[in-house]
Amino acid sequence: MIEIKNVSTVYDGDVEILDSINLEIKDGEFVSIVGPAGAGKSTLLKLLTREIRPKVGDVLVDGVNLFDITAREVPLLRRKIGTVFQDFKLLTSKNAFENVAFALEVVGATKEEIDNDVPKVLSIVGLSEKINSFPHQLSGGEKQRLAIARALIHRPRIILADEPTGNLDLVNSYDVLKLLMKINELGTTVIMVTHNRDLVNTVGRRVVTMEKGKIVRDQVEQGKYII
Amino acid sequence: MWRQTIRRIFNTGWTNFKRNSYVTIGTTGVMTLVLLLFLGLLALNFISDTIIQSLNEKVDITVYFKTTAAEEEMISVQDDLKNFSAVKSVEYISRDQALEDFKVRHAGNALINESLAELEGNPLQASLNVKANNTSEYAAIANSLEGNKFRSSIDKINFYENEQVIGRIEKISNGLRNWGLVATLMLSVIAVLVTFNTIRLTIYNQKQEIEIMRLVGGSNHHISMPYLVEGALYGLFAGFLALIIFYPAVYSVSPKVARLMPGVDTFSYFKANAWQFIIIIFGAGTILGMVSSLVAIRRFLKI
Repeated sequence: MIEIKNVSTVYDGDVEILDSINLEIKDGEFVSIVGPAGAGKSTLLKLLTREIRPKVGDVLVDGVNLFDITAREVPLLRRKIGTVFQDFKLLTSKNAFENVAFALEVVGATKEEIDNDVPKVLSIVGLSEKINSFPHQLSGGEKQRLAIARALIHRPRIILADEPTGNLDLVNSYDVLKLLMKINELGTTVIMVTHNRDLVNTVGRRVVTMEKGKIVRDQVEQGKYII
Repeated sequence: MWRQTIRRIFNTGWTNFKRNSYVTIGTTGVMTLVLLLFLGLLALNFISDTIIQSLNEKVDITVYFKTTAAEEEMISVQDDLKNFSAVKSVEYISRDQALEDFKVRHAGNALINESLAELEGNPLQASLNVKANNTSEYAAIANSLEGNKFRSSIDKINFYENEQVIGRIEKISNGLRNWGLVATLMLSVIAVLVTFNTIRLTIYNQKQEIEIMRLVGGSNHHISMPYLVEGALYGLFAGFLALIIFYPAVYSVSPKVARLMPGVDTFSYFKANAWQFIIIIFGAGTILGMVSSLVAIRRFLKI
């Protein structure tokens, strides 16, 4: 369970990004966080990976306050959370296999585990043929699928997707969405930040709407992105 | 598990080294130049040390005895000098030996030979040729001779005539040594800074990759160790290149240096100490590469 309790964050000392956010996300939920640009959607996700600190408030994952853990424990936190970004954030000097394998190496997986699991996950996302390709050799859709494969490989309990379809065409966007939904069906909590109304309305799950750093609407079931 | 981790770190470092060919060539090239500069400084230091040594060897004190001096007295003075800590060596040249040496030196000079034949007896004096451990100690040796119990048998101590020359030689030697050290230190610092900045730029270009690895959950050592391996590889390859350029260069330049400065055999020196130089250059390159990588990457690993 993820609990964000009364969180406010500022940028550059005085620019408020989030304002008294209270949000609870249960295990296995698929939550779309929507809103206009500058609403604070991505900032919310950055709290969960501890990229930024709140000025006020707490962020708890399974009862553990993320900002009570030491700097040394932060990598351990990040290994439990899969992240997918709009700009893919792939390691350009590594091929598809190595990009996914890196996520396993950091958790100390053996060579046998890596050799066994990585091709399977690449197959799930439809990249079996591209196992030795480098990111610059992949299309936008393929890059995002590779990023999802990396996010999935160590079976995280939470996947954070920050505008995962932002740089993709319609077909690829729906492919990515289908993958995320499939992952969610297997029990992973998926939190997707997006401003793509059609995608959100296709999912038909919980929709949290943000505006100017606040949550203005929280539709727990059959949510729609209402402008 | 740690063996697996180490293997992974080396594999990743080696893969990065191989794949980024332009960066590898550039960085290795700069480090090769730095190591060549370092070897050049070693060569210059060797040459200047050899010059200093040969200058010092030309300096000595000759003690001329009166023709009436008894051999036992001269031997006693020699023994006293041998026991003096500042003295490196004392060579006794008897009057007969002095005459023989004179005849050999002037064998082709008919006039001198005829003049010698005219003379009755041996006009030459017995002498002691004294070399000190250090040019600065000749004054002390001369003073000790002044106080010797057989000073009355000594005709002349030629230190006083050569005192100025000895002083000048000592100044030149010290100057060469000191300035050589300063130049070596300054150039070494510059070389280290150039290498450090080159590797820092290389890692700066990897800034985004490092950030991504942190976001995916890579720990500091997991991210930084392959870069240390990469830095070490730059150093090792640079060391190899520097040595295969330097040795043939010294081999071809050494005879020319020997013509200008007789007695200075640069190639023999580097050949005789080849293993030491190989270890020093590979070691210096590896350490320089690793330390530069470590310092450069630290600023990207703040969590």
